[in-house]
Amino acid sequence: MDTQILWFASRATGAVSLVLFTAVMVLGILTAGRAGVAAFPRAAVLRLHRTLSLTAMAFLVVHIVSAIADGYVDLNYWDVIIPFGAGWDPFWIGLGSVAVDLMIAIGITSALRRHLSPTLWRAVHFSAYAMWPLALLHGWGNSGGDGQETWMIAIDVVCVAAVLASLAYRLRPDRHPDSLARRTAKVVHPVRDIGGDR
Amino acid sequence: MTATQFDIGSPALNFVIGHAMPDPYATDRLLPEGRSPSLADHLARLGAMPRATSAQLAQLLEAAGLLGRGGAGFPTGRKVAAVAAAVAARRLPGVVVANCCEGDPTSLKDRVLVERSPHLVIDGALHAAEALGADRVVLAVHDDSPARFTLVAALLERPQTSCEVTVVEVPDRYIASEATALVRYLNSGDARPAGRLVPIWETGVGGRPTLVANAETLAQLALIARFGPAWFGAIGTPAEPGTCLVTVGGAVRRPGVVEVAHGTPLASVLGRAGAPSTGWALLGGLAGRWVDLSATAGVGFSTAELAAAGGSRGVGSIVVLPPGGCVLGETARILRYHADAGARQCGPCMFGLPAIAADMTALGSGDRGALDRLRRRLPVINGRGGCGHPDGAVALAASALAVVTTREGGHLHQHLTGGRCQAPPFVVPLDVAPAPRAATPRRPAGSAFIDSRGRRS
Repeated sequence: MDTQILWFASRATGAVSLVLFTAVMVLGILTAGRAGVAAFPRAAVLRLHRTLSLTAMAFLVVHIVSAIADGYVDLNYWDVIIPFGAGWDPFWIGLGSVAVDLMIAIGITSALRRHLSPTLWRAVHFSAYAMWPLALLHGWGNSGGDGQETWMIAIDVVCVAAVLASLAYRLRPDRHPDSLARRTAKVVHPVRDIGGDR
Repeated sequence: MTATQFDIGSPALNFVIGHAMPDPYATDRLLPEGRSPSLADHLARLGAMPRATSAQLAQLLEAAGLLGRGGAGFPTGRKVAAVAAAVAARRLPGVVVANCCEGDPTSLKDRVLVERSPHLVIDGALHAAEALGADRVVLAVHDDSPARFTLVAALLERPQTSCEVTVVEVPDRYIASEATALVRYLNSGDARPAGRLVPIWETGVGGRPTLVANAETLAQLALIARFGPAWFGAIGTPAEPGTCLVTVGGAVRRPGVVEVAHGTPLASVLGRAGAPSTGWALLGGLAGRWVDLSATAGVGFSTAELAAAGGSRGVGSIVVLPPGGCVLGETARILRYHADAGARQCGPCMFGLPAIAADMTALGSGDRGALDRLRRRLPVINGRGGCGHPDGAVALAASALAVVTTREGGHLHQHLTGGRCQAPPFVVPLDVAPAPRAATPRRPAGSAFIDSRGRRS
């Protein structure tokens, strides 16, 4: 088999993964921001967020396996989860490993969400804001790929712009009537500090 | 949390032994005539508490047919058995919470009971605690309620027990004393209902099996434990033996709390408060039903009979409307209260209650379409909340709807045609406003409650 195929596959799936994870980020941020229209309601935004995250993970697996299986660069399976120890380009590969670790944590806590406290799940899920930029930097800085190509940088710019735009939407003042009603509830039913060991 | 703690360590020595039973046919079991609330008088009247295992207690309560008096009417024997099973299965000491909060503003019975017979309530709580192997008893009262002093004074009078007994003040909001809200408050300071996913009889206060029972329920339990189901059932109905406390208020001459045997006709319950048995009355509290007193004068006051007559026993309160009183206007007020009181944690509370409150108000302002909206909305709200709060509001609204579209159809027509409602001022008490504390109009300090004979005290 021509090993060039694996190398190209790895580069291509890496780029596709970035685009997919960007979409997952945008949809997740929109979910938290209660975005939805009649034709594409909030439940659909959430569902697409979940489904695309699984798709993105599948592409990421192909990206990683093909890069290691190709054998052209010095990588092994430990480098996938243990950062900065790779025999080739350890820093930029390491950023990808950290992103993979965070992604695994997010995936596991989401699978077990029913059994975890909402606070814990949320805290881990927040690390997506670290995972995604790390993945993007990994693609940009890695030598031997397409990171510095104009078309790839253009994709990066579009991805960053999309996430920043959805963040701006998410952080706008929340005037949703449900949020206002819930805020009233917090005034009417304040939680007391009952202290002690109870 | 304000808590007064009593760590008491040695067994009781001064209980009266071999005490005679009180007259089983008298109806002043909970609110005795001519007795002070002191421990000495209490023991002289009733004697010492016996001891019992949880199985014995559950069996006694089952035999006595005791139903919870907090509003839901759940069989207390089954509740005790459930906590006992959880205590045995999880090998954890249980917790007993005596709910003396009385969140429903139409009811005064627990307040009067605690003032008059604090030791009976404490007896019940401690007896249940002993039977369940509980090492912690919480007496839950509203913020700043006089009951907290009464209970603390009563505890100081008592001999020591191995149980940790605390008097805990709970926010004086309608839903804060719902059982799961009480448990959640004791655990976290958040006094909103916690839903039904985690049963409190298995995982309640401190994660331990917890018995939450109304103050009157525990007082009745203390009587059953002392004198047995036969004595208890000497009066009352076969289905529901014993006595109960009823708060009669509204347009009556002597508003207050009376103790009656179950099955006593509504007319004579009302007569004790100087109330007429004509006109409309709200039965069972803010989650109750509207009944026409002239049609129900002969109905016995008990859970089953009231339900069969279209009423509701609920918290055991009766609010009588004055002649010409407006059921529609009163209901709109109460629904607004329910909507404001809601915790807004789930849809029925957050969207449903404000919607039906607005509908009922709109109906009163002549919006005929509100009838259809109510008929559409009530069934989809019912049974969907995480607690029973929306269901209570729906039951009240449905009852009001039935009244105003049939018997009070003429009056509804006046509302719908823009005629002025000539009804006298509203009488259903909603005094504990579910609003931020600073804006809460408080019940005037030292306001009197009225005893079973209509005397102010």
